[in-house]
Amino acid sequence: MITEYRTYLNPKKVYLPLTDTQSKIANVLVEVGDEVLIGQKVAEKYHGRVKSPILSTVSGEVVGFEERMDRYGKLTDHIVIENDQKNNTIPYPTYSEKATSGQVRKVISEMGLTKIAIDGLYTDLRFDAKSKFVVVNSIFVNEPFLSTDYDFVTQNSEAIADGIDLLNTAANGKTAYVIVDKYMPAEAMEELGKAIVDKNIELIIIDAKKLKGQDYKFIKSLVKETLHFDLLENGVIYTRVQAVKMIHDAVRNGTPPTTRQVSLTGDGLPVNAVYNVRIGTLFAELVEDLGSYTEVENMTLHIGSFLSGIELENDDFAITESVDAINVAEYRLVEEDVCIKCGDCNDVCPAGILPQNIMDAEIRNLSSRIVELNTNECVECGLCTYVCPSKINVLEWVRRGKRRVG
Amino acid sequence: MKFITKKPPIVMNSQRTYKKLFTLHFALIVVAIGTVVIKALSKVPETATYTSLDLAFKALAMLVLASVFSVVIEIFYALSEKNTQKFESYKGFVDPINTGLLIALLLPSTTPFYVLALAVFVGVYIGKLVFGGYGFYIFNPALVGVLFANISFNAQLALTNTPLELLKRAIGGESITFKTAELFLGNYNEIAIGSTSVILLALIFIYLLVTRVIDFRISGTFLITVLVITFGVGYINFYAPGDFSVVLSYVLVNMITGLTVFGAVFLISESVSSPTTRETKIIYAVVIGVFMMMVRTLGSQTEGLVFAILFGNMITPLINRTVKRSNAKMLVRTVIACVVIVLLVTVALGLIVQSRLPEVAAIVGGAF
Ligand code: SF4
Ligand code: SF4
Repeated sequence: MITEYRTYLNPKKVYLPLTDTQSKIANVLVEVGDEVLIGQKVAEKYHGRVKSPILSTVSGEVVGFEERMDRYGKLTDHIVIENDQKNNTIPYPTYSEKATSGQVRKVISEMGLTKIAIDGLYTDLRFDAKSKFVVVNSIFVNEPFLSTDYDFVTQNSEAIADGIDLLNTAANGKTAYVIVDKYMPAEAMEELGKAIVDKNIELIIIDAKKLKGQDYKFIKSLVKETLHFDLLENGVIYTRVQAVKMIHDAVRNGTPPTTRQVSLTGDGLPVNAVYNVRIGTLFAELVEDLGSYTEVENMTLHIGSFLSGIELENDDFAITESVDAINVAEYRLVEEDVCIKCGDCNDVCPAGILPQNIMDAEIRNLSSRIVELNTNECVECGLCTYVCPSKINVLEWVRRGKRRVG
Repeated sequence: MKFITKKPPIVMNSQRTYKKLFTLHFALIVVAIGTVVIKALSKVPETATYTSLDLAFKALAMLVLASVFSVVIEIFYALSEKNTQKFESYKGFVDPINTGLLIALLLPSTTPFYVLALAVFVGVYIGKLVFGGYGFYIFNPALVGVLFANISFNAQLALTNTPLELLKRAIGGESITFKTAELFLGNYNEIAIGSTSVILLALIFIYLLVTRVIDFRISGTFLITVLVITFGVGYINFYAPGDFSVVLSYVLVNMITGLTVFGAVFLISESVSSPTTRETKIIYAVVIGVFMMMVRTLGSQTEGLVFAILFGNMITPLINRTVKRSNAKMLVRTVIACVVIVLLVTVALGLIVQSRLPEVAAIVGGAF
């Protein structure tokens, strides 16, 4: 349970990774010793021909470049900027009422807002001719443990509604959809309902307690075709409310994304808190701010959602705009049993493919059968592993199958 | 600070395989106790030289012997493999005991002990351990053992006057009356000691459905199939205008005596030897239901469930390896196909029993 709200906005130094999982090439625009302002572009990274900027999140001096682990566990060059605590910002243009599709797209790409929500099904915020559906999630779906921060929704409902509207404009969509939980606090629901009345936004109410890939099923009923691993291919933009709030701030107030809500949970930490944190802060500093780790022998560190996030070996990484939740917990070994062929994994799979049969084919090395079973339609939601009573990592077998034929 | 990592997804739900086994274990023990109690309370024929307590003791002895023997075989096998780890806690004993209990419950009370022991040996060793133990076998081990006993020791296991046999004779022209209350209470010559207590089995059925040990898509489909076929065959053969009572007793005898309910609860939904997707589960259940009713109406055997389930197990790997995906369209198609097949089989079986099939064929042929 989240018990505290905290802020950590003035780290001594920030560390900004130059590359991510997709953009592997970066062009640095500053040198050691340069003075930079908040929001100033310090580098550009390229993914093919798509260029996205890296903005400084503090004002101060560039003190160096360092190779260190990023939040994906890969070694990456980081720009290190020392904070002068003056918070000087460079101005960005603001847009009032009628922002056009082109303007919003420009702001999103110029402020580096493309990769905010990355877990599971969420897509990058990139637009092309195909874009037509906007789906925004206000809760954690397919997520058995993380509890949604409803206060965020209640307090920022206007901004969220406006952000969704902007995103919808950018995607040239007709109606945007917000996924809410049937059992969310009445207050949050009411505020959100009030904020969207005169906008083209529809509420999609689901029961978040049932882990059944309901977001996937909804999107499938929306596009009426087979979904791709990357929903952008289907013209769907799917993201979280935190991202649309950032879009609202960027477009209406000209605020670049320099801070982020991160929830820190788990029995490895003395307090479970939601942090408003400066992007680029080292995670270890946050832990220090909380006290320290609790005295647990073996711990795991998990970033993002429990079904599709990643685990790291080391806590020496910097928070980026795509980190939404970090869990530090005692390592609990669950023994794998043999598959009892119960079929629970086949029943739950939202893509309608058969993970148990794929696993069977993979064990028996049958490539043709793996193709026949539509393995490439798996969206790696992780539900098959979640439901397995024998605690087999079914998704890992499906991934192997995909790699074999892909 | 160093952390341990593993591949996500890292959280799992609270369902565990061994918990399912324990639930099944509990259910089987309840049924076993119920069986013994029912035996102790049952009436014996006036002329008999034994008392009902003798019968109860025999049943108890069979149950205990079968489970102990099954555990012993597994332990010897584990010793020969030098891998006895799993027997360090009670968890390892649950599955062997379940198999033993099932075999004992599936044999009639006249079974000699050496037949029981052989059935357990064949079931556990050839049916299970040879394939690699729990989780790997193709045929339901308990049924392998029981089939072996049924075929090899036909004479020792011969039963007379089970309701199903009487029913067969009734179709042949004898007049026989069934007392519904007696059938429900289990007061008849049963085919296996476990199959008598229908009321208890129904309760266990609900319990296992709620705990999700068995799957309604298999057991339910099976029961519905049997219900439809028996009703149809009964209707075609015994329907006198305005009088459903004979039809109903035909349905009733087929549903609650014999192994129908016992099979639905413990045998056909056994997860390891049944298919894994919802469409194939429905097909599997329908195939078993149809096959069983064919044996019951046409074959020389009175009880076809053991064969039918083993046949179902046999086609399971085949259908498991040919299904492609599972979606709403497939489900609808499967259900429609199954309904059509069940109805056709019902009519065909009903007419064959009445020996009117050639006549009908002639009419249909004449139409062309
Ligand atoms: S195979 Fe597993 S991870 Fe892939 S879509 Fe199905 S349930 Fe999700
Ligand atoms: S859920 Fe696990 S045990 Fe059940 S069929 Fe799938 S892999 Fe096998």
